[in-house]
Amino acid sequence: MSTNLRHAGFRAMGTYCEIQLYEASRISAKRLVRRLIDEVSRLESKYTRYRDDSFLSEINRSAGNQAGIKIDIETQKLFEHARSCYEQSDGLFDITAGVLRRVWDFSRRKIPDESELEGLLPLIGYEKLNWRDDTLLMPANMEIDFGGIVKEYAADTLATLARELGVRRGLINLGGDFAAIGTQPEDRPWPIGITHPEDSTKMMSHFHLSEGGLASSGDYERSFILEGKRYSHLLNPKTGWPCSGLRAVSVAANLCTVAGSFATIAMLKPEQDAIDWLTDSGLPFVFMDGAGQIGGPGLTDSSY
Amino acid sequence: MKKPASRSLIALSTSALALPGIAEADAPPLTSSLSYKISNYQEDDLSREQVPFGELERYDIDVHQFQFVSPLGRDYALFIDANHENMSGASPWFSTAGSNGQPVINMSGASGIYDSRSEVSLGVRYYGARGNIGGAIGYSEENDYRAKYVSMSGSRNFNNDLTTLTVSLSHSDDSIFPSDAERFNRVRHENKQASSVAVSLSQVLNPVASFQTALSLTGQSGYLSDPYKLQDSRPDGKTQIAFSNSLRYFFIKADGALQSDYRYYRDNFGIRSHTLDLSWFQNVTRSFKVVPMLRYYSQSAANFYTNIDDFLKPLSESQSSDYRLSAFGAVSGGLSFVTDFGGWSATLTAERYVANEKYSAFTVAQPSPGLVQFTRLSLGVNYAF
Repeated sequence: MSTNLRHAGFRAMGTYCEIQLYEASRISAKRLVRRLIDEVSRLESKYTRYRDDSFLSEINRSAGNQAGIKIDIETQKLFEHARSCYEQSDGLFDITAGVLRRVWDFSRRKIPDESELEGLLPLIGYEKLNWRDDTLLMPANMEIDFGGIVKEYAADTLATLARELGVRRGLINLGGDFAAIGTQPEDRPWPIGITHPEDSTKMMSHFHLSEGGLASSGDYERSFILEGKRYSHLLNPKTGWPCSGLRAVSVAANLCTVAGSFATIAMLKPEQDAIDWLTDSGLPFVFMDGAGQIGGPGLTDSSY
Repeated sequence: MKKPASRSLIALSTSALALPGIAEADAPPLTSSLSYKISNYQEDDLSREQVPFGELERYDIDVHQFQFVSPLGRDYALFIDANHENMSGASPWFSTAGSNGQPVINMSGASGIYDSRSEVSLGVRYYGARGNIGGAIGYSEENDYRAKYVSMSGSRNFNNDLTTLTVSLSHSDDSIFPSDAERFNRVRHENKQASSVAVSLSQVLNPVASFQTALSLTGQSGYLSDPYKLQDSRPDGKTQIAFSNSLRYFFIKADGALQSDYRYYRDNFGIRSHTLDLSWFQNVTRSFKVVPMLRYYSQSAANFYTNIDDFLKPLSESQSSDYRLSAFGAVSGGLSFVTDFGGWSATLTAERYVANEKYSAFTVAQPSPGLVQFTRLSLGVNYAF
């Protein structure tokens, strides 16, 4: 019996998502997709900062509370991964940096006052989070944002879940964060196009993904140019000002979560540091630098 | 030479792999499943040399097994098992010395035994972030035997879920009321109890290897003899200890896994045994697997085993001619085919078992004339929905 590739597109985590599965039965493909969408919804409703009833909002409301808040294992492990990102980026990737959005409004193209930024910097710093066993004690006014971690983690979780449900070949795409479940038939890799940062109708590069994940980071739509200077939405938590390194980077790794952490950290580092650091990792990657040049070892022979 | 992985890659991969959605931590089954398995177990006939008179046919058993597993909410799972067995044939009744002084068997049930057994059990398990805990109750009935049992077990993961400690407890309470007790002067109604505790530790050694070691202790008390044998009198208490080790190794190039198990057992009846099991799980395609198996087993005899019943011995003294208490060795081999498609999977297994005193790793003072040879065929189907 032939096994057909089934597609399902949906919106989740504020973006367009797509699940592709090789499955013989349409009924069982639908059942699988429904189960996978349920899982994305679970993670979204737990970690979104756009809903007051999410667990993340509850964590943020606990800031300043002497009793702290009890954190479940899954969230604890996300914090541990966030700490690992914080350490590996020398403090550049910091999940407490979200407070900067209080003064940076990229849709209104407004540059905040230096004094406003300085008032926020004391509220940033992963090391300021205190733990008493599984209870998190967060100083008043601090804020957690799992952006750059949760969507990538969700892509891996869906791939793992799909494997446990018996899927042998498939591709999860959560708004550009990809996780592969095996290859396509005859060991063909999954071709993945990477959008050009300046023109979303154009392709910057493409990758061939056989296993693991691929994630991208860039200042795609959410940056602005004012008086000839580009303001990236990626902010340096140490200064409060936008980073001026790479414009976009895509990384492939054993997991989408790992690829995503590398991509995010690379965007926060100075341009040459980022390229050196990615090269040292041995992972395939493609980047666009500040001058609009495209490069990286993932560019030509882009298989993972 | 390949460049070693960077410090950042190791650190970020380690913390990412510990995430529960990726780490495949303890979780209830993701889907409900219904499975059915039918097995046929057939012992080879005895020869006229072993049984001078009467039936040569031994046991033939058909087993039907049903299982229903379902998640209950996010953290619980329900297990319902039901088995039904139909058996027919005959078993050794007593053994005497033949004309050449060698032991010969006299079989029971010249007209053939026909019996059936039904069993049902119900279990619930809770899956937490660091382990799981659950329990089950069960009941089994046949026309001369009833068993009730209860079990509990819990597992806890440590060391980034690479180490798992499991503790299990179980207790059973059985009633025996042999048929035709008056006519054959058998016991009317007896009881026996068994309790056991087991501790096991499993360790993931690296991405392709895992090891498990386990120790179990069982105490039995009550009527442990075989009421259908003419002269069978065993002690009314038995303590068993078993130590098992298992290593599983996945060979990436071969796309197959080797599982090897070794078990050492001893009890205060005087039986010691070694079991060595080897299975190879070969992936042929993504949905087809072949599993050849090989097993060697050998045990020493119970202190009171005799291959010729001594009818002059008082019943207060232990003795038994049950072949399962003699010293022997056995070799068995089997082959399974496993295939799955969508929510369906099917397993077909064939197994051949041959026991012989010559295969024994222990001294055989009195070889049993009644050792079994059997063939088992089974077909199982599982549907997940």
